[in-house]
Amino acid sequence: MPPALDLQNLPDADVVALAQNGRDGAFRELIRRYERPVFSLIYRMVRDRELSEDLAQDTFIKVLNHLDRYRPEFKLSSWLFKIANNVAIDHLRRRQLETVSIDGSPHAITTDAIEATSFDIVGGQESALDELEARELGTSIERAIAGLRPEYRSCIMLRHVEGRSYEEIAATLDLPLGTVKTYIHRARHELRRSLEHLRESG
Amino acid sequence: MNHRHLLPDEIDLLLDDEVGFGVTPLRAHVRECARCSALVDEARVAVDALEAVPHFAPSHLFSDRVMAGVPVFVPWHVAARDAAERWLPQARRTRYIVAGLATSVASLVTLAILWVATQTDALVLATGAAGGELRSVAMDAGQRALAAILGEQAFRLVQGAGPLGIAVALGILVLATAGSVAGFRALALASSRRRA
Repeated sequence: MPPALDLQNLPDADVVALAQNGRDGAFRELIRRYERPVFSLIYRMVRDRELSEDLAQDTFIKVLNHLDRYRPEFKLSSWLFKIANNVAIDHLRRRQLETVSIDGSPHAITTDAIEATSFDIVGGQESALDELEARELGTSIERAIAGLRPEYRSCIMLRHVEGRSYEEIAATLDLPLGTVKTYIHRARHELRRSLEHLRESG
Repeated sequence: MNHRHLLPDEIDLLLDDEVGFGVTPLRAHVRECARCSALVDEARVAVDALEAVPHFAPSHLFSDRVMAGVPVFVPWHVAARDAAERWLPQARRTRYIVAGLATSVASLVTLAILWVATQTDALVLATGAAGGELRSVAMDAGQRALAAILGEQAFRLVQGAGPLGIAVALGILVLATAGSVAGFRALALASSRRRA
């Protein structure tokens, strides 16, 4: 048995290299580092604990089975969040619970122009589920997050919970930088309104 | 700047704690404008609440379930290195001692092989001499055996025919012996059948 390594203090790239050499402990260290952020992101997207575990499990299996594709100049966490977001969005699309939004004219480049040229269709089923899940989650901010559209949710979570920059979020979610800024701006606006509404009603 | 309130994008810049020349006048305006200051504070409440949300944890079996779907493959060179390391002591000082002993033994063995290689001629000569000695001993023993079996006169006759004559005589002797054994065996078998 090879001597035990202090995996916790190694950077991601080194742990990945050990995993590529067949070290079981290195795989588990990668899971340990990112299971909570990945699970939290997915849970706040799909709002079902059991389903979130399955989707998070799929995320890790996909990434860990393709570690040979990992390049050290990119963050492993970004790759994980990208897959996590994709599996969550795919699930929501299959469930047809997401709100449908058409994000304005392709020629619109400012926030005001996008808002002026877009329209939204809100699915009625989502509000009831939102309310149910938000009650389970318990806090005002969780209720407010649950009320956001999935694409806004993932952007605002990556920005303020995971601390990613706009550029990192754009690369992770394969979105233009302007779109990310728009989504985050709209998410902040909606959260502010939701929290104000909750304060007034509470 | 002082004549208008902050735009939504400008509030976002302040929420993102951006720095730079473009942000300084915005901060200055917020210090002077109560309305914009309130807007920024309201927006910051939501952002602060977001940044304080906890991570949720999956079940304690999550890691095992993931690993069940990840076949771990050890490359051959890593497996060979691990196998070699199993034989080595863990402590560095002990490893140095073992390495020193192994180097000494290897050096001695190498010197021994080199010495043997330099002695090749002498070895070949000794082997040749021993082989010749063995041949002459075997010949003498063979001749004495023949003389004892055939008698001195018959032996001298065979010896006169040279080594070929001796080999033929030995061959005839072996055949006669084998024939006698076969004949006696046949007689014994016939006798035992009659008795039965």
